[in-house]
Amino acid sequence: MEVSELPIEVLKEAAWNANQTDAKMLQRLRSSISKYGLVQNLVVRPLGDRYEVLSGNQRLKLLREFNVSKVPCVVVDLDDAHARLLAQALNHIHGDDDLGLRAELIREVIRMIPEDEILKILPDTIEGLRGMASLGQETVAGYLHNWEQARSARLRNRIFKLTDEQLITVEQALDHILPEAVRHQGISPNTRGTALYLICKSFLEKENKDGS
Amino acid sequence: MCAGNVMASTVTIQRAGRSSIPAAALHDLRLMPISQTDAKTLIVRNHYSHSLPGGTKLSFGVILNSRLLGALTFGVGPYLGYKLVNGATPDDAVTLTRLWLSDELPRNSESKVLGIALRSLKRDTSLKFILAYSDPAVGHLGTIYQATNWLYTGLSSATPLYDIGDGILHHSRSLAHQLGSHSIRYLTSQGINAKTVSQSAKHRYIYFLNKAWSPRLNVPGLPYPKKGCDMNGS
Repeated sequence: MEVSELPIEVLKEAAWNANQTDAKMLQRLRSSISKYGLVQNLVVRPLGDRYEVLSGNQRLKLLREFNVSKVPCVVVDLDDAHARLLAQALNHIHGDDDLGLRAELIREVIRMIPEDEILKILPDTIEGLRGMASLGQETVAGYLHNWEQARSARLRNRIFKLTDEQLITVEQALDHILPEAVRHQGISPNTRGTALYLICKSFLEKENKDGS
Repeated sequence: MCAGNVMASTVTIQRAGRSSIPAAALHDLRLMPISQTDAKTLIVRNHYSHSLPGGTKLSFGVILNSRLLGALTFGVGPYLGYKLVNGATPDDAVTLTRLWLSDELPRNSESKVLGIALRSLKRDTSLKFILAYSDPAVGHLGTIYQATNWLYTGLSSATPLYDIGDGILHHSRSLAHQLGSHSIRYLTSQGINAKTVSQSAKHRYIYFLNKAWSPRLNVPGLPYPKKGCDMNGS
């Protein structure tokens, strides 16, 4: 396979290119090319008096930005159908990361390169990156202990569906007891929940009293 | 007695292929906590259902030589499933909702992994029992549960799923969460053309982490279903 250095003016983007990139991803590609240079050749085919880009349309946009004059390209001589098929093959034939191996790799990268620098190039969020780096680092016992602790500290949600009229009454009752609920904040940090609890408690106490 | 409504959270172990890693590697298999995001990535990519049900509480990865080659998740499971055991509350149980192991792993990896998970849950949590379901409609009998000594309690009735025309079958719980209700009448009044889609009954298994709770089981234990046997457990 021969690599030719072609003048950038003779390269044209494929109008049929299905692979589109948003601004964020393009910025990452820009950062990558700025840092490492163009490390992957474009794939082009002769078309009329110019060359159509089958693979590297996004890179071509950025190379124009960078005022590059010559671009290393692999030139293939293909008809329309095979040009499109090859473009799809180049875009879609790839493996999936094994998450365990990726975690090891990310940990190693994080040890050597600041996170903000990594995030300029990789399409991860800071949380995603740290989460990936922490994969396999926590023991099962520690994880389950934390889960147990979170369960016991958890506030429980109850969903009620009320008509507008019912809601007005419930809100009035809650507002009525809210000052008392504020004084009971030790029970729960959710004051309205505590207010509801106090109403129910008061109801049950009255029921018990009436029943005895 | 029906223990509750089985949602589409049936565990499936997909091990159709031939393992490429020697059996000796079983000793090196490790179970590690992983994020729900990572578990979802693996399950959606590899599990036949290509979905992780809502309500996932615990997620583990199966690691061999630094590679993440499996995932298992525990979650809330079927509504009222915990009522299978007298005096139990929702906090006493979780349901094994997904288990996927790579075909590269050696034979018996499933029982090894499940054994580690059950021992850990027994040792490090206050959970009393685990529920699991397998779907006879796709040829699953729950062989892994039989191999790891779970109790079989027969076929559990299943709540229908909901088709609202968006290409996804919704569980009643997620529909109620998203749209406020799963009532067909309510959905129709909101201009949503919803219809129910029946699910097949699932084989239901239970594993007591706290053996003292096993007498509280309020349905009889039944013989394990076998291939070619009547699906009603007879």
